[in-house]
Amino acid sequence: MAKVTFIEHDGAELVVDIPTGWTVMQGAVQNGVAGIEGECGGSCACATCHCYVDEAFLDGLPAPGETEDEMLGCTASERRANSRLSCQIRVTDALDGLVVRLPEAQS
Amino acid sequence: MFRFDPYSPAVDADPFPFYRTLRDEHPCFWSEEANMWVLSRYDDIVTALNDWETYSSASGNLMDEMPNRAGNTLGTTDPPRHDRLRGIVQFAFTRKAVEGLVDPVRASANRALDAVSGERSFDFVADFSSKVTVDVLFGLFNLPRENERMIRDKAVLMVQSDPRTRQKGPEHLAAFQWMSDYARQLVELRKREPGDDLITALIQAEVNGEKLADREVQMTITTLIMAGIESLSGFLTMFALNLADHADARRRLAADPALIPDAIEESLRFNTSAQRFRRCLRRDVTLHGQTLREGDFVCLAYGAGNRDERRFANADVYDIGRKPKGHLGFGGGVHACLGTAFARLASRVAFEEFLTRVPEFRRVQEQLPWMPSTTFRSPIRLDLAVA
Repeated sequence: MAKVTFIEHDGAELVVDIPTGWTVMQGAVQNGVAGIEGECGGSCACATCHCYVDEAFLDGLPAPGETEDEMLGCTASERRANSRLSCQIRVTDALDGLVVRLPEAQS
Repeated sequence: MFRFDPYSPAVDADPFPFYRTLRDEHPCFWSEEANMWVLSRYDDIVTALNDWETYSSASGNLMDEMPNRAGNTLGTTDPPRHDRLRGIVQFAFTRKAVEGLVDPVRASANRALDAVSGERSFDFVADFSSKVTVDVLFGLFNLPRENERMIRDKAVLMVQSDPRTRQKGPEHLAAFQWMSDYARQLVELRKREPGDDLITALIQAEVNGEKLADREVQMTITTLIMAGIESLSGFLTMFALNLADHADARRRLAADPALIPDAIEESLRFNTSAQRFRRCLRRDVTLHGQTLREGDFVCLAYGAGNRDERRFANADVYDIGRKPKGHLGFGGGVHACLGTAFARLASRVAFEEFLTRVPEFRRVQEQLPWMPSTTFRSPIRLDLAVA
């Protein structure tokens, strides 16, 4: 279980408990985080769960795979150095306190 | 004593009361008839979908698997090989790639509607959903325009099983064999005459410096045809059924077609055709007081998770304003449906046309003939009377 803070583009914050093994995307859609769409269901195929990961946690995450890297080229909002697809971030206890910021648009 | 028999015609007709009992009283249930565990709560299914190391697809993903299929398709391979294979196929199914299908789908829907124009009633399955689906899929894969009706019939037959023997019957296996042979011929054709299409891309693709085996290309094509035709026409049919049964929702959509995408999402949640898939355990798991052993099969009942009140309030109500994010209508995790963008686009455009030309309709049959299948659920005929 990890507490994850989602900060919407308009600044609204939502703190969500996400079970270990779930992805950050699933924790978001399950808890009504508006800024995450997750259209493809988590298979890294739509880039609508784009998020900006807080720098403090960035190095602790496994690096994006080839497909994620490609899909990050298709995001609706600007790709930044800390851009990730939240369906590819699997929750572990080490991610407790994770903060992600959401882009202006997903599609 | 409660039983859950996915081969039973009663489950084909209405699985939802069974799902409720499963979720509330037996969240981790051993089905003797299916010879596997059944998970029915939303959270348990999502957890399983995210844990492919434990819940493996490599021993097959259909409730009744077909011979020599497991291990040779996207849905029956685990990462990391799965991810590389999917990377090759996915480019053909991104939202951008399917945008070009808007006009072909619209034209196809109108051709089908022209053919029933003036009729008082028609069969939505034979006269609309099958025709449009086959037509569009043939375009997407650039398949030779022959045998279209036959291919559709075989795709629908191969996903069925025999309710009496609780396995695939000779006719179902023959349909699968027919489709495999058809796919093999397509592969041979594209090897001789490469084109700018998915089959050629699969033939030429390399995973880890290795070309895909002919068997893998053949089984992947077989599955894409099956899923493209059966799942999409099954979904369109269930959507039409929902709109026949919920006149208020139908009228709102006819008056404001911009609501169609939301209604599609709710239909995917409420009763989409892909009801149940399976996984195989790679280690022992303890869940809800039960011990599931390595090697046991586990059914993930998406249709049950989609009606879980723990996740969706008033889950048994069809509410097109719900916006049911995170529904399991396309599965989830690494194996989530490859064709989501294609399915959403084709469904939206097909119903924009359908509701423009047939805004008022109702069901004719009180009892529907349901397809006998442990994995998918849709009526094989849906007669609609036009007002």
